[in-house]
Amino acid sequence: MVPENIQTFPSTSLTLGAGARTTPLDDLESAVAMYQPRVFRFLLAQLRDRDAAETLTQETFLRAWTARAAFREDCSVSTWLIRIALNLARDHTRTGRFRFWKHIAANAVDVADVAASVPNREGSAEAQLIAQEQVKRIWESVAGLSARQRTIFLLRFLEEMDIPEIAAVTGLPLGTVKSHLYRALNVIRTRHHPQSQEGL
Amino acid sequence: MTPELVLQPDTTARRPMGEGHLTEEQFGELLSASARGPAANSSLAEAHLQSCEQCAAELASLRECLLLFREASTAFADNELRRMPQVTLPARRPMFLPVVEPGYWVLAAAAIFLAALLPMQVLRQHTVQPASAVAASTSSATAESDEALLEDVNREESASVPAPMQTLADPTDSVASTSADIETSIQTSDQRKD
Repeated sequence: MVPENIQTFPSTSLTLGAGARTTPLDDLESAVAMYQPRVFRFLLAQLRDRDAAETLTQETFLRAWTARAAFREDCSVSTWLIRIALNLARDHTRTGRFRFWKHIAANAVDVADVAASVPNREGSAEAQLIAQEQVKRIWESVAGLSARQRTIFLLRFLEEMDIPEIAAVTGLPLGTVKSHLYRALNVIRTRHHPQSQEGL
Repeated sequence: MTPELVLQPDTTARRPMGEGHLTEEQFGELLSASARGPAANSSLAEAHLQSCEQCAAELASLRECLLLFREASTAFADNELRRMPQVTLPARRPMFLPVVEPGYWVLAAAAIFLAALLPMQVLRQHTVQPASAVAASTSSATAESDEALLEDVNREESASVPAPMQTLADPTDSVASTSADIETSIQTSDQRKD
């Protein structure tokens, strides 16, 4: 029997004290349904490892739920979750906690699989192949970026965050974010249009 | 791995528009702004795009590529996500209500009991040892006294006349000697008076 002043967590047996402030993350099921695709997508593109992305996505939500009392709503839930995910990804690559996974080819994302996911726009087969090749090239170019450039590039062009939002997530000044973004774009531009540098 | 370009922002990024094409910074601004409308300060770059087909084509191509990249990545991630198990919280209890499973209570009680019993057992072993020594010494002393008692009994039994049957000493001997002593002392005292 649950006392009246104790609120039962909907998806688990965990309980919140009566004085606890309600946050958007109290309902974990709803938060996961809403934000999991975004968090997982970012981590998958950042780490290029299925298992690591899956593990860190779960870890992101667990950490967010555990620390939900610290969420002051000075940014969106999505931004907060991406910030947690980014920190976890940094720790992951820094400590090499799951280093052995890197050697398991089955877990690594195959660029060809990503390229094959290009939506068919009712174009010709040739156009589809060209599109796949372009996607493949960008994925490979992104892999060659520095960690910071890659993060900022993905936040901008995969998660469609604006510059101030990226600055909030990464904790970098606006100018630094822009600088890294432009350099990342230049790398991709060079790879995409080798003649672009020649024209300048 | 694609080698990162060595950029020269002082010479390329700030190059005046009229000299060539869009700079790296202008391209970055235009591409960054593409998803959510045109950039605020891109009027100069936009004007250049009107007159430069090469830059316009390159920008359009890059925008298209970035869009494809996003769509493909999203579709791929969504596909992968369907195979991923649902995020669930581990079944753990809150810190302010520490209820432990009954089995753990039994284990904890047994551990505490053993922890308390062990020092007691050690202490008992230390205290029992002197007691047994005392008991041993006491028993040896008792045995000695018993032997002495038995020897006395044997001695008395082996005697020809039992002690109770021994002839009594003549009490008059002592009385006579006593009266003689008294007379002697009286005489001595008389002599002293003289």
